[in-house]
Amino acid sequence: MTDDILVVNKLTKQFGGLKAVGGQGGLSFNVKRGALVGLIGPNGAGKSTTFNLISGVLEPSSGSVALNGKDLSNIKSSEIASHGLGRTFQTPRAFTSLSVLENVMVGAGSTGERLTSVFSGSWRTDEADIKSKAIEVLQQVGLDDRIGDIVANLSGGELRMLEVARQLIRDPEILLLDEPTAGVDPSLQGKLSSILVDLHNEGRTLIVVEHNLHFLLSIADVVIVLQNGELLAEGTPNEIKNDQRVISAYLGDEYAA
Amino acid sequence: MNIEQLLLAVLTYGCLYSVMTVSLNLQYARGGMINFGTVAYFAAGAYAYAIFTQEPPSGLDQYAFGFNSPWWVGFIAAGVAAFLFAIVTGWPTLRLRGEYLALTTFAFAEVLHSIFLNERRIGNGSVGLSNVNRPDFSWIGMSDNYGFAGAAILLLMFTAFLCHRILASPYGRAIDAVRDDETAAEAVGKDIKRLRFEIFVISAVPVGFAGALYAMITTLVSPGLFTAEVTFFVWIALILGGEHTIKGAIFGTLALILFEEVVRSFNFETVRSAEIAASVEHIMTGIIFIMILRWQPFDRFTKKEAVQ
Ligand SMILES: Nc1ncnc2c1ncn2[C@@H]1O[C@H](COP(=O)(O)OP(=O)(O)OP(=O)(O)O)[C@@H](O)[C@H]1O
Ligand SMILES: [Mg+2]
Repeated sequence: MTDDILVVNKLTKQFGGLKAVGGQGGLSFNVKRGALVGLIGPNGAGKSTTFNLISGVLEPSSGSVALNGKDLSNIKSSEIASHGLGRTFQTPRAFTSLSVLENVMVGAGSTGERLTSVFSGSWRTDEADIKSKAIEVLQQVGLDDRIGDIVANLSGGELRMLEVARQLIRDPEILLLDEPTAGVDPSLQGKLSSILVDLHNEGRTLIVVEHNLHFLLSIADVVIVLQNGELLAEGTPNEIKNDQRVISAYLGDEYAA
Repeated sequence: MNIEQLLLAVLTYGCLYSVMTVSLNLQYARGGMINFGTVAYFAAGAYAYAIFTQEPPSGLDQYAFGFNSPWWVGFIAAGVAAFLFAIVTGWPTLRLRGEYLALTTFAFAEVLHSIFLNERRIGNGSVGLSNVNRPDFSWIGMSDNYGFAGAAILLLMFTAFLCHRILASPYGRAIDAVRDDETAAEAVGKDIKRLRFEIFVISAVPVGFAGALYAMITTLVSPGLFTAEVTFFVWIALILGGEHTIKGAIFGTLALILFEEVVRSFNFETVRSAEIAASVEHIMTGIIFIMILRWQPFDRFTKKEAVQ
């Protein structure tokens, strides 16, 4: 096995007449196992669409994605998730009829989701474990005081953290986060950054879309820059900060070292 | 009609229809699937029971099948028939959402109705199958009326237990998640197609059993008994019960059945006044339906989300 966990090969996505991802030759990049990758670019560059293509929410118009060497074409997004790929959405999604705790618990696949074990009742033994794991990850993201709450009472930033928690309980091998700090206050951003660093240190692979570059460039070890669906640049945060094309297309002068 | 008969009728039909409402609650309120063809699974159960328990055809009989089986074989056959019909109708349609699923299930029910109406070999066409066999309650010392009331209560308890068991487990949690947000549910590995299909099929089984019980009580199955009115009745009862709970579904049904039975129990001096009463009942049912829809529209789940 190579040490590339994710291989994106000549990926394109067309919406009607608009080519959102891929440009001329298609979008290609590799992600090394254990890397913390920043995915940046102007609004409409195709970052979220790329996430949707990788996670199977959208089908590519052409090209392919491979996870751990396995081609993901024609694989349902639920199955991709079960292969160890977790993701969050740019607009946080929550299960509104479930409590905060249940929103996280439902993330853990339980044997009780099989009809046979529903009737045998064998799921009960796992349930206590799932619950304590859920409380643990809720503590990690700073939502432990909202455990019994209904989702409607959460703020925008809290919903975002809830979604992160729901993915954390799944123990994903690779986690895709779409603008995790948007609407999240500075103290929680600090918490989030240390969570990401912890996950990174555990050897997990992370791809983070962010416009908050102070946050992202301090933790990423590789940065990929998209523009108009195409790869504009790829390199370490320092290389990217000083890349003239990236500065004029996206960064402005502020980040130049 | 005296009070005892009235109460017995309310109890029997109330529990019988509650079986359907509780199943619909599982499909719709929890599973998010709008099934406007509920009557089809009810009819499938009733016909299966009648066909399995009747004598083989002889003489002038137009129907082609009769297996002369004991009542419990017919009862099981009813559940199996509803189960199979749910597989046939659910497989191609469950990808559809909301009103599209509603229309398709409605159409399937109409097709089944039309088959029963026109295909004499199955159920004697529009005449139906009469003298349907009843189980004998005398061995437990009960009259038929009390026996059927007891059977309806037992069937309802079984259905409520089944639904409760499912909903109170991680399975129920996953179903809720799928209904709330399919994309997010898939992002945590939920196979939404499997979950929806299983719920659709499993909740049809008690409806089939209810069909068998209905056939025993009326001793007649004919297309005229299984029209879309049955579906609408169950829907009204479910919405009347509000609160997406098993209890709500049962109370809604009992209230509606009580209303109908009381209206029917009035003694009318003339045929004319009986006719008027019948139309008033229909109008009232319609008005209740409109009022309920006005205040609790189908999209109340999405409404919940908007409270931000
Ligand atoms: N479902 C869709 N249907 C049609 N067009 C779409 C769809 N999703 C995205 N697009 C278009 O594709 C392009 C890329 O969108 P995308 O959401 O991937 O950008 P992004 O890089 O995530 O931007 P932002 O930083 O604003 O989140 C945009 O022009 C967008 O309008
Ligand atoms: Mg985006």
